[in-house]
Amino acid sequence: MIATFTFLTKRRGGLLTVIALILVLTIFGVLVSETFGTASNALNILEQSTPLALVSLGQTLVIITGGIDLSVGSMISLASVLLSGITNGDPLMMVVALATIMGAGILVGLINAGASIYLRVHPLVVTLGMGAILQGLTLLYTQTPIGKMPKGFSQLAYGKVLGLPIGAVVTIAAFVLTAIFLRKVPLGRYIYATGDDATGAQLMGLPRHKVLFLAYGFCGLMASIAAIFLVARLGSGQPYTGQNFTLTSITPVVVGGTLLSGGRGGVMGTLMGVYMVSLLNNLLNFLSLSTHFQLIVQGLIVIIAVSVYVENKRKV
Amino acid sequence: MLTISKVSKSFPGVKALSNVQLEVKAGEIHALVGENGAGKSTLTRIIAGVHKPDEGTIEFDGEIVHWDSPAAAKAAGIHVIYQEFVLFPNLTVAENIFLGHERRGFLNGIDHGRTRQDALDLLNRLGVSIDPDALVSELSVADQQMVEIAKALVHKVKLLILDEPTAVIAGHEVELLFGRLRALRDDGVAIIYISHRLEEIFDLCDRVTVFKDGQFVATETLAEMTNDRLVSLMVGRDMSELFPPKSSAPGPVVLTATNISVKGRVHSASLELRAGEITALSGMVGAGRTELAMAIFGGLPMIGGQVAIGGETFTRMTPSLAIEKGIGLLTEDRKGQGLAMLTDVATNISASDLGSVSHKGWLNHGREKEIAVSEIANYRIACRGPQGAVLTMSGGNQQKVLVARWARTSKKVIIMDEPTRGVDVGAKAEIYRIMRDLADRGLAVLMISSEMPEVIGLADRVYVMREGVITAELRGDEIAENRIIQAATQKRAS
Repeated sequence: MIATFTFLTKRRGGLLTVIALILVLTIFGVLVSETFGTASNALNILEQSTPLALVSLGQTLVIITGGIDLSVGSMISLASVLLSGITNGDPLMMVVALATIMGAGILVGLINAGASIYLRVHPLVVTLGMGAILQGLTLLYTQTPIGKMPKGFSQLAYGKVLGLPIGAVVTIAAFVLTAIFLRKVPLGRYIYATGDDATGAQLMGLPRHKVLFLAYGFCGLMASIAAIFLVARLGSGQPYTGQNFTLTSITPVVVGGTLLSGGRGGVMGTLMGVYMVSLLNNLLNFLSLSTHFQLIVQGLIVIIAVSVYVENKRKV
Repeated sequence: MLTISKVSKSFPGVKALSNVQLEVKAGEIHALVGENGAGKSTLTRIIAGVHKPDEGTIEFDGEIVHWDSPAAAKAAGIHVIYQEFVLFPNLTVAENIFLGHERRGFLNGIDHGRTRQDALDLLNRLGVSIDPDALVSELSVADQQMVEIAKALVHKVKLLILDEPTAVIAGHEVELLFGRLRALRDDGVAIIYISHRLEEIFDLCDRVTVFKDGQFVATETLAEMTNDRLVSLMVGRDMSELFPPKSSAPGPVVLTATNISVKGRVHSASLELRAGEITALSGMVGAGRTELAMAIFGGLPMIGGQVAIGGETFTRMTPSLAIEKGIGLLTEDRKGQGLAMLTDVATNISASDLGSVSHKGWLNHGREKEIAVSEIANYRIACRGPQGAVLTMSGGNQQKVLVARWARTSKKVIIMDEPTRGVDVGAKAEIYRIMRDLADRGLAVLMISSEMPEVIGLADRVYVMREGVITAELRGDEIAENRIIQAATQKRAS
């Protein structure tokens, strides 16, 4: 018990901070609005946070390796138009479309990793370029909302299992599995080591390339899966769906205590970060502030969160 | 166990190793010695599979090997403890020890309990008490070194290489380490031991190989070797040729630092610098020497103390204020913090003194070039003229460019951190002469150095630091290896 506690405070110090912030926001929300504190609103927040949670999960792994993926937003846009465009109402084609976008997500991630390894270009630049390429491809494919999904697909967004939104269940499962992977599988440990000291990882003979391919491939896949849930909610794919997700996917990661410099952090902090961001957006809605205002607040949060954690950086 | 023959290795602009050989037997501790830049670290990295040799062969355990990665060398039974640790500060001690050899449990997943227990056992065998759950970033440098050594004991090694393992540990810990190394040797492990401390080498090792300037000099049995002979093999010439005569009459005090503290690194250190004198700051790596100098220059914030220079007293310094008051600093890391590697000699020389080469805010390139030409002649910098690229120059000439730059603006004090790191012996003698010239011109020179011969041979006065505290001030005949080591390793009085 004590070991677990020191583990949490030492390495997941962010987790406790975020949980405290979530409590503060909830109390504030309940005080300012009568409907904020209801169960249906809580379920609503859980459902709406699904796409963000999935992209941020992928982003967390990439950031722990010491990199960053700025192509996720465009990847979501591309995946969502391909999904509804290829499907176009046909349940059989939907299977093809799902396989296509998940494959595309993984492929894009592998290319991101490969370019930063073999061309020796910083991931920041690789993925920024990749983002532009993917957005271009998306707009070549369509400039307007395209296609439609079979009847019942929206159940993915609005249906429930065990009284919880399907998306929330998928999210929690994905986070728990990833957390176990990071803690129990040596390759998960090497993700941290690579981000902590890339040269050291190389000197130790750790599989640095495998780590990067895994992290970026996983991140691409998560972007595609996030697109599936977005299309389920919106009904069709739209070429700018993913636009805001690039910054938004980084916010929960840094809020959850993962260092942008890599090597430290974890997915459970990110999950709490996701809930905090979703809660905040929901609260801003209740205060009748526009979504544009949410963007401004998010920008502020990222900067503040990073500045807070800079203090805790390594002393060596 | 290991036979290296005719190995050469070049890096852009540097021939790091030229046709060297080394033979290490199973069950011996083999010392590898030479000054900085002799090629010891490059050879270590070749054996470890980090670099590939340009020419030559490596025979290990009876086979010619061509390792293409550190992982391959490791799999063959080679373990290297690098001077700059390969530790992951955000992982725990136990996680670091078993990184790459995780202890498995349920469903072949990592067994955290066993990892912790096994780490504790290993640390106990080493006789140190370190919490296996602590993050490595929370440990002292000495404890980090012990964790590095524990890593070597995780699996069976055939060849263990230690690069300056005692640079940051002392006394009891050194004895524990030597005990373990002797036990490993008696088990038939081949050990390559790299160190600057000759006493240790005579105490611990069986044979010694000397490198100088990337070339093999000799391999001999230590039982038949004397200290003086080993030094002359390393340096390649008599000590008296290397160092200019010392100063006989130091001038007035130009800088007084009183009770300087830097968070976690320096505790209430005081020193005086005199005009016309070369003062050395000695001590082990991590003793706080660089941090103290940086605080005086304003590169690190002081949390206490004051610096007096030119009749004024400052409790807060900044680099620009320090430069204005006539202090210059040549950092230990020429590439990272000093030179603009991709630009030319003229730009680098004028970098800290653009006022003298500009007129009404516009740079005068003609004037800049004139200054460069005169400084190149002045310091005998070997380069292709003022437009020569700094990147392709030798370490010694790069250092002279930096000296030329700082001597232009430093009217009172010039601080040089490891001024001869990565510089060959010929250039060393020249840098020593330049440092003496600067002192003779009335500057106070403060040198930080880990090279015992240069501290002893060059400095007029020596401050020794240990764990952030100045433990001794030596002058004249007091400046001797045993006095310095004693002050650098003694426990603090507190």
